[in-house]
Amino acid sequence: MTRSGKLAATGIAALCLTLAAVDVEAKDKVKVGFIGPLTGGVSANGIGGRNSTDLAVRLRNADANAKYEYEMVALDDECKPNVAVQVATKMAADKEVIAAATHYCSVTAIATVDTYHKFGFPVIVWGAVLPDITYRNKYPEIHRVNGTMINQNDANAELISKLGFKTVAVVHDTTDYGKGHNEYFSKALARIGKAKIVGTFGVTADQQDFTGELTQIKALNPDVIYFGGLTPIGVRIRSQMDKLGIKAVFDGTSGIGSDAFIQGLGPLAEGTLAFREGAPTDKLPGGKFFMEKYNAQKYDNPPEAYGAFAYAAMDMILDSIEKVGPDRKKVIAELANVKDRDTIVGKITFDDHGQNTVPVITRYVVQDGKFVEWDDSEYASGKRKLPAQK
Amino acid sequence: MDAGLFAQYVMNGLMLGMMYALVAVGFTLFFGVLDVIKFSHGDVLTVGAFTALATYVGLTQLGLQSHWLALMVMLVVATMAMAFLGMLIARCLVMPLRSAPALNTLLITLMLGTVLRECVRLFYPQGANPKPFPALLPRGSIDLGTFNLRFDNVLMLTAGVVTIVGLQFLLNRTRLGLAIRAVAQDEETARTMGINFTAVVLITFAIGSGLAAFAGVMNGLYYNEINFGIGLYLGVVGFAAAIIGGLGSIYGAILGGFLFAGLQTVGTVLLPFASAYKDVFAFAIVIAIMAWRPTGLIQEKISERV
Amino acid sequence: MSASDRMADKAKPARAGPWWAITALAVVAVYLIALLSAEKQLVVMSLIAFGIVSALAAGWFGVLQVVARAFSEHEDLTGLFAIAAALVIAAWFHEDHFVLLLIITVLLTIVATLGLNIQFGYAGVLNFAGASFFGIGAYTSAVLNTTAMPHLLVLLLGGLLAALIGSVLLLPVLRTRGHYAALITIAFALLFKTFLEVNDVLGGPQGMQVKGMNLFGWSLNDNIEIGGITLSFYMSYYVLSLALLIAAFALVRRLERSWIGLNLDALRLDDVAAGCFGLDITRWKITAFLIGNFLIGLAGALFGMVGGFVAPNNYTFADSLILVSILLLGGIGNPWGLIVATLIVVVVPEKLQTIQEYRFLLYALMVIGVLLFRPEGLLPRPVRRYFPGWRP
Repeated sequence: MTRSGKLAATGIAALCLTLAAVDVEAKDKVKVGFIGPLTGGVSANGIGGRNSTDLAVRLRNADANAKYEYEMVALDDECKPNVAVQVATKMAADKEVIAAATHYCSVTAIATVDTYHKFGFPVIVWGAVLPDITYRNKYPEIHRVNGTMINQNDANAELISKLGFKTVAVVHDTTDYGKGHNEYFSKALARIGKAKIVGTFGVTADQQDFTGELTQIKALNPDVIYFGGLTPIGVRIRSQMDKLGIKAVFDGTSGIGSDAFIQGLGPLAEGTLAFREGAPTDKLPGGKFFMEKYNAQKYDNPPEAYGAFAYAAMDMILDSIEKVGPDRKKVIAELANVKDRDTIVGKITFDDHGQNTVPVITRYVVQDGKFVEWDDSEYASGKRKLPAQK
Repeated sequence: MDAGLFAQYVMNGLMLGMMYALVAVGFTLFFGVLDVIKFSHGDVLTVGAFTALATYVGLTQLGLQSHWLALMVMLVVATMAMAFLGMLIARCLVMPLRSAPALNTLLITLMLGTVLRECVRLFYPQGANPKPFPALLPRGSIDLGTFNLRFDNVLMLTAGVVTIVGLQFLLNRTRLGLAIRAVAQDEETARTMGINFTAVVLITFAIGSGLAAFAGVMNGLYYNEINFGIGLYLGVVGFAAAIIGGLGSIYGAILGGFLFAGLQTVGTVLLPFASAYKDVFAFAIVIAIMAWRPTGLIQEKISERV
Repeated sequence: MSASDRMADKAKPARAGPWWAITALAVVAVYLIALLSAEKQLVVMSLIAFGIVSALAAGWFGVLQVVARAFSEHEDLTGLFAIAAALVIAAWFHEDHFVLLLIITVLLTIVATLGLNIQFGYAGVLNFAGASFFGIGAYTSAVLNTTAMPHLLVLLLGGLLAALIGSVLLLPVLRTRGHYAALITIAFALLFKTFLEVNDVLGGPQGMQVKGMNLFGWSLNDNIEIGGITLSFYMSYYVLSLALLIAAFALVRRLERSWIGLNLDALRLDDVAAGCFGLDITRWKITAFLIGNFLIGLAGALFGMVGGFVAPNNYTFADSLILVSILLLGGIGNPWGLIVATLIVVVVPEKLQTIQEYRFLLYALMVIGVLLFRPEGLLPRPVRRYFPGWRP
């Protein structure tokens, strides 16, 4: 009985094997990918990006003229470099996925650059701002539709100097993202020369307790605390600042430009500065169209700051596949020739490193629980004053 | 360093030390009574904090405005719920394994801690994200020179001290405390004297877990934020503190908690990289202390049958 | 024959022929190929359910016991066939990058847990920092691969460095027992991760890229073309990992069967008695700890080169706990059990994407279940046999 039992087991295993192999895929389905932080502290941005790319794929599938039927594979990089490399390897190793829109977090984007190159997998970055992602190597696989952090830090330094603040303490996270922000902000501030940096503090990306750093900052008594990092620790630093009685302007980057920041702090968020490249979504050339279609799909989450860029990235990928077919090498060649392409975020041109230039920098300040453009705000007109403003 | 800055550091250290001490006392209580290390203690703290948060959300839905009342209700609900959870863990997981090697209990409670943590992460709505904890204590403060003394810190510190003193009172002056100490000392004799072993164990676990819930709420009030990972870190630190102080001794646990916090604060002040290296420093010192005194600073009196 | 002889005959179980073990291996190989090829979630789930059911049924009908006996009596032959089965599986998936990567992960995790097995299963020395030593090996290859050092030497150095850093912990580990000893390695695990994160020289939280392996001028990171067939570049790493696993496995088996193993077992079971009989406890604990760390570091160094990327987040306390759970699930002290447990812990969550989110929860629940109901693990360690297969 045991012998025949074994035979039966082998037979059934073989049957299952054939079943799996026989499963034939429909002929003209093409897979495209999305990678972003779907869980963790910045998941709001990741989910917004995923919904936006999903929107692009849906609209394309609804288009009768499309040559292929697209299926989107979404993977979660958790905003952690090691997880990102794993999921990037997984997606790039899967020969059926042709291209992907990848990464909101700079730490993940910079970690996976070599992986995509190793597998010859074309990607368009939609949210990460670290310049090194496109500029460290000249990989033909890597492109980016959003801008880099250099311009936003220039604008940041300009505003701080213009408002008459003299002393700045810099807090940045120790990832490449935070270090990049520190580098470019310090350079820009030094170039303008009106304000000076009294102290620089590096913190880890998942740090809980900032009383050590903030106590030292309190002794330095700066006008402004510049923060180069993401929303979760931004929220913690701002609330612990208040606990220690530090009255300074909290000046952040695109990393804190999300609703999660305001929700996390409540009234404490008032008067926080943030900067971002690109115009606000509704002021983009295709902004109204994008918001209309997005709301029609009734997603649970808003597109957040970079949703429009994610949409533009996926749209460009789909355009390339339509033009040259589902072949990775051909898509790479096609994406190398992108010049003045019209998209919802404006005209996109990839330079020789695959980087697009986004000229506009929007300056935000939190007013009454919302991010308001600086020029439209009551702080600019003088009706309200920032904490250390004279 | 001026007096105000020094005072600020001392205050930071005291707050941290209080939280570590509360967790460490829990570890020591469990060890004393059952000779087990219940590693899920830190994650019970997390669950307690989240229970309190959920209670708060529920209370605001019901339209409750008073902060003090909300705080009281949250504390009561969280403590009761965690006491119940602690008893459940004791009944189902720890007591059946009493005859197994101690290592098995350590491992099973370690895994249980992971289960609790993952449950919070997966099943609490948006559990993976850090959640803002309401600031329910009065927010005023007075400035003593450059030192900013906040009322909520003072309140929390006092509450912690009161709790620990209350626990000492419970253990040393009441009949229940006597029973707990008896069971901790010698199980068989205690049973012979008519003490209901199971009941005492369950009550001890309830007390310890209730303490954890209290520490969790304090943690939430201090940082104004909780996330599913706070338990793991606090659990290990509490464990380390209980061990440095010597398992089985309440005073040792408190000493260990404040010592660890002191090490971290000293590390922050002395080392150039602010608080980046403080954990490395503190844990390295812990390992060194263990090498020097293998059973902790307040020696555990162990005898072994060979 | 006297009555006692007849009873003795009845008590001896029948010899198990080697064909039991070989057929079992063949079935498992086919099953693995099926599981690894399956894409649709429904197929994967039914395969896994089928696997569990047939394993339970085999146990019920007594087939598992016979197979286990066959394994232990004809170990060398079984080992050879296992290697052949592994090569067949690799040949089947020669083009599939991701499956090969998965298999390599399994192989190297087994090597690491073998190291842990020596420390914990044989000598009873607790080590909750397994992932940290794995990380030491990986970071060694990250740092040294950029220099002109031959890469095989880098592997060895990874192992040696792990053993060396482990020796820093020796004094506290030797002096403490039980819970206190557990604390030492837990504290080290946390310390190590934080140290890596704040240290910019080692890449900080961003991690470092690791250059691919380069053996005697042949870069292992290039796809191989033989005739018309393209082999994934992971194939070369696969062969290397398999070689490493075979060496580690043979080492562990020989160690267990030797007088060193006997000493370690005595040490674990009752160190006071062992000390009374003249065994040098300190020396054997040190030996076990260092050899174990060496193996773990070696596996880590190779895995760093395969993955091409190291970051502090890969080597946290939670990862160490996974290694310990594999050890517990498989059966403490039984290397074959480790293979089964690693397959379950590494392969199943990857294939069953729906449970990917819940995998930590499921591991922990599985381990709790095992500890409550079957503390010896899935494949408990068999009684020591002095001459395997020998019958008086």
